Amino acid sequence: MLWPVAQLLMFIVGAASILGLIVVILALLQIRSRPELIAQVLTILPQVIIDGLVRGFLFATIALGYTMVYGVLGFINFAHGELFMVGGVVGAYVGFFLSNAGLIDGINPFLFVLLVVLAGMTVSGLLAVTVERIAYRPLRNAPRLVPLISAIGVSLVLQDVARLFMTNFPASDPLGFNARYQTPDFGKPIKLFEMTLGERPVPIILSPKALIFITVAIIMLIGLNYLVNATRLGKAIRATAQDMPTASLMGINVNQIVSLTFLIGGALGGAAGALFGMNVGAVNPYMGLIPGLKAFTAAVLGGIGNITGAMVGGVVLGFLEAFVSSYLGLFTGGAISGAAYSDIVAFSILILILIFRPAGLLGEATTTKV
Amino acid sequence: MTLLDAKNITKSFGGLTAVNDVTLTIEPGRIVSVIGPNGAGKTTFFNILTGIYKPDQGTVMFDGKLIAGKRPDEIAALGMRRTFQNIRLFGNMTVLENVLIGMHTHLHAPFWQIIARTGGVRREEAKARERARERLRYVGLDDKREALAKNLPYGDQRRLEIARALAGEPKLILLDEPTAGMNPNETAEATQLIRRLRDELKLTVVLIEHDMRLVMAISERISVLDYGTKIAEGDAAVIRSNPRVIEAYLGKGAAGTAA
Amino acid sequence: MATPPPTSAWERITAPLRSGPSAYSFLGLYAAVCSWLLLSNPRTGLRTDIVFVFFLLLMLFVFRARVARVFKIGLAVALLAIVLPLFGTLNPYYIDVATQAGIFVTLALGLNVVVGFAGLLDLGYVAFFAVGAYLWGIFSTSQITLINPAAMPVSPLLFYLFIPLGLLVGCLFGVLLGLPVLRLRGDYLAIVTLGFGEVIRVLANNLDKPVNITNGSQGIRDIARPPLFFASFARDTLGLKLNDNQLYQQFFYFLVLLIVLVVVVVVSRLKSSRIGRAWEAIREDETAAIAQGIPLVRMKLLAFAVGASFAGAMGVVFASKQLFINPPTFDLLRSINILSMVILGGMGSIPGVILGAVLVTLLDLQILPRISTVLREAQDAGFPIPETFDPTQYQRLLFGLLLILMMIFRPEGILPDQRHSEELHDDAPPPEAPAPAAAEPVAT
Repeated sequence: MLWPVAQLLMFIVGAASILGLIVVILALLQIRSRPELIAQVLTILPQVIIDGLVRGFLFATIALGYTMVYGVLGFINFAHGELFMVGGVVGAYVGFFLSNAGLIDGINPFLFVLLVVLAGMTVSGLLAVTVERIAYRPLRNAPRLVPLISAIGVSLVLQDVARLFMTNFPASDPLGFNARYQTPDFGKPIKLFEMTLGERPVPIILSPKALIFITVAIIMLIGLNYLVNATRLGKAIRATAQDMPTASLMGINVNQIVSLTFLIGGALGGAAGALFGMNVGAVNPYMGLIPGLKAFTAAVLGGIGNITGAMVGGVVLGFLEAFVSSYLGLFTGGAISGAAYSDIVAFSILILILIFRPAGLLGEATTTKV
Repeated sequence: MTLLDAKNITKSFGGLTAVNDVTLTIEPGRIVSVIGPNGAGKTTFFNILTGIYKPDQGTVMFDGKLIAGKRPDEIAALGMRRTFQNIRLFGNMTVLENVLIGMHTHLHAPFWQIIARTGGVRREEAKARERARERLRYVGLDDKREALAKNLPYGDQRRLEIARALAGEPKLILLDEPTAGMNPNETAEATQLIRRLRDELKLTVVLIEHDMRLVMAISERISVLDYGTKIAEGDAAVIRSNPRVIEAYLGKGAAGTAA
Repeated sequence: MATPPPTSAWERITAPLRSGPSAYSFLGLYAAVCSWLLLSNPRTGLRTDIVFVFFLLLMLFVFRARVARVFKIGLAVALLAIVLPLFGTLNPYYIDVATQAGIFVTLALGLNVVVGFAGLLDLGYVAFFAVGAYLWGIFSTSQITLINPAAMPVSPLLFYLFIPLGLLVGCLFGVLLGLPVLRLRGDYLAIVTLGFGEVIRVLANNLDKPVNITNGSQGIRDIARPPLFFASFARDTLGLKLNDNQLYQQFFYFLVLLIVLVVVVVVSRLKSSRIGRAWEAIREDETAAIAQGIPLVRMKLLAFAVGASFAGAMGVVFASKQLFINPPTFDLLRSINILSMVILGGMGSIPGVILGAVLVTLLDLQILPRISTVLREAQDAGFPIPETFDPTQYQRLLFGLLLILMMIFRPEGILPDQRHSEELHDDAPPPEAPAPAAAEPVAT
């Protein structure tokens, strides 16, 4: 039961260490031409690691949904990023209504988190089930291209429906396109420690929201693992994933299992969205696309179909992005802005993995007998 | 001077050894059969010969060239063609087009000529069509050449697969259970056709089969696989009386087949 | 190609209009009336919109009618090369729509080679278009001097050289992208190509430092157009009183029309050749195809390269016509837009894709804006319509629904390729290359 968590920890520590080592070495190599570099590198390193962790868990939680659906249906739910977005929008609405009712400041932060997560999970989960019924199930036996295109369509529709909603509801004072996600006060950022390199001491902080984010993500991982590996339902899911016709013959209602898989996957995505929006403070209808793509990369990186793999892939990708984002500018003296190019990191990883190790970090490179 | 020389072929999938140290040598112009119970590794062996799998160990020499590890299309271009256990025709293409595909490696009109539709291209296409129709006539399908492959009756589909393989002007043709699902009449016709392949077209034929009547009647040599290992090899008489073979699987009609 | 005998009631009723002597009179009359309506009252507005749509529909009927080839070609030439340009001199809006439709017809035909012929889902196709556009944009403006102070913008005359250059550069990028990714299976290929499209867009948006290559989000303006070599011919010989912009409109219209013709010819010839057959075989059953000696990766790469080169070439023309390009023009929505054209019209079907492209362009450039205007007028007149509902802003919704509905109800498209139609309605999934394990994204 704890093995997946242990694996995850291994990869977190491993990735952080390796990347940290790389940037330190790169800085040391330039110790003569740019002596101040090494101090700069070390100063921001802890914050970068924390940033990587937060990003990583974001990707990981979204990736969980991808990997579940893929495991059971062999199908990439292109619209999964939108389920994430919907979770965020729902959370924003919760904050919005609480704020309008004057309750936002008094509410207990943990209660608030519970509310938005539950709301996000419910709406996204049900939405996922509906989408599967309407747009995917009729196409289950069609050539591969067909449900994929349908999924693209669903993704587009959800984006604009969300937009329609956000710009028109409630009619008198709609949430707006770029909506603020209001939250109660979570308290001050937690100061983990201080680093003194150079002139001023630099506090290394972790915001409470980020901490909650990571905690909930870990709970979801453990919960999902338990569900899939230790319950009867989980066994049915695994059976369906391995061989749908035979599972059906064994008395498993595969349609129900598929619906359930989408429910869980969608709920996870929705929870991720609700927490992400809370963390960032704003949501918009198009915010699901890029994180969705990156989360897919994370799922493939870790080994698609493998739940722990999704988490592992997520954190590794998160670290890579955080490091590129923060250090690219530093190392090039401001010439190239890392933030803009960090998007490309994910895509490059995707190509490399699919060429060199398609099974991913935790997948097994097997050849199957035909 | 052998045409095909597969030595010490071994292939495992995960923990399961599908093909275990199998050696097969084939001289040109022969009809040779590979038999064995289901799951003995025959189709896997074929797949290794044709390049779909790479053997873990062993070498394959075809027509003087080492081919183990080459891609299937490269091996097909070298003159080894096959049919499939579950017929794999291009269902939504016509009979004629299926055969034309078989000829792909012999059509060389360059891209530019195709776009410009030069005389050379048109001539090549016309010649290709004529040759394709010859092949269809050979198996008796020319009158159905405009039908969609998936609309053909089962027996015709099998013949089309053979015609398609012939279009590639192969030196060696591998037939994977060519008479599966056929009644005795159709089987007899198929047997005739296979004989003609050797006698008239001077082809070398390797057969995977379960129909023992066909195997005993037509094969010059039979190799028997069981659990991935070759347990016997020889002509029909030798194999029929081999206790290991009989023990491995009771062949259909093996007891009562005339030599 | 033999047309099946009329079966549905619709087909029986319209039969006399499609063939036989009545077809000639029908088409001739239709053409005359339409042309007269357009030319007599060229003002932009709902009425002209409708006539224009009928005009374009006429082209479809001409194509589908079973009448003498000479007649078809003659009528098409008369309509497309005389009436429409003439109408264009009276009203610049519609001829621009037609030109844009032509540009996207080319793009859709290119994508059709990749998606429809070879069966590869490319979601980043617009990247090749962008590459061609930026190629001309950079070299023909002062942008090149920003990159290399010693360089000067090329002479606008070189535009004609840059079209084939755009073709080559598109081809190059197609091969570069294709090489690593074409071994991947359907879903993975789609996502990777999508990522590639995004990368190109991000690069276009950010390559303004340290060296300003693309001018970032500001885009490139004042892109050069080739000199009007026929200006004197048009003004003096033909006596047309047209200013430079109008002449350029005519120029680009005819240029695009010419390119479309060339592309249609090329693509048709490819389709009926050994290459087209090989693509179809690959699409149907990769394992069987490879067993016939068809080199999978090479053929897929060829499809990719062909598709990409059309986009690259058209990119050059597009940049020159629009005079201004910026990264948002080449975003994911645009790739999906082009994909919708192929799907709506019919994957793999050349006439279908042309129809799809024209329909979608009409939708984007004419129908949606018109609805938007009408709604606004209705709003002003007092009808209760929500303020923020503007159809031109809801393209995602529209195209998303289009894709879903098409896939469920008519995956073969409006004017399907006969074979494809049967393929897509087969309930049994086609046999796949031996890699059925859920974790394996690589086809053999």
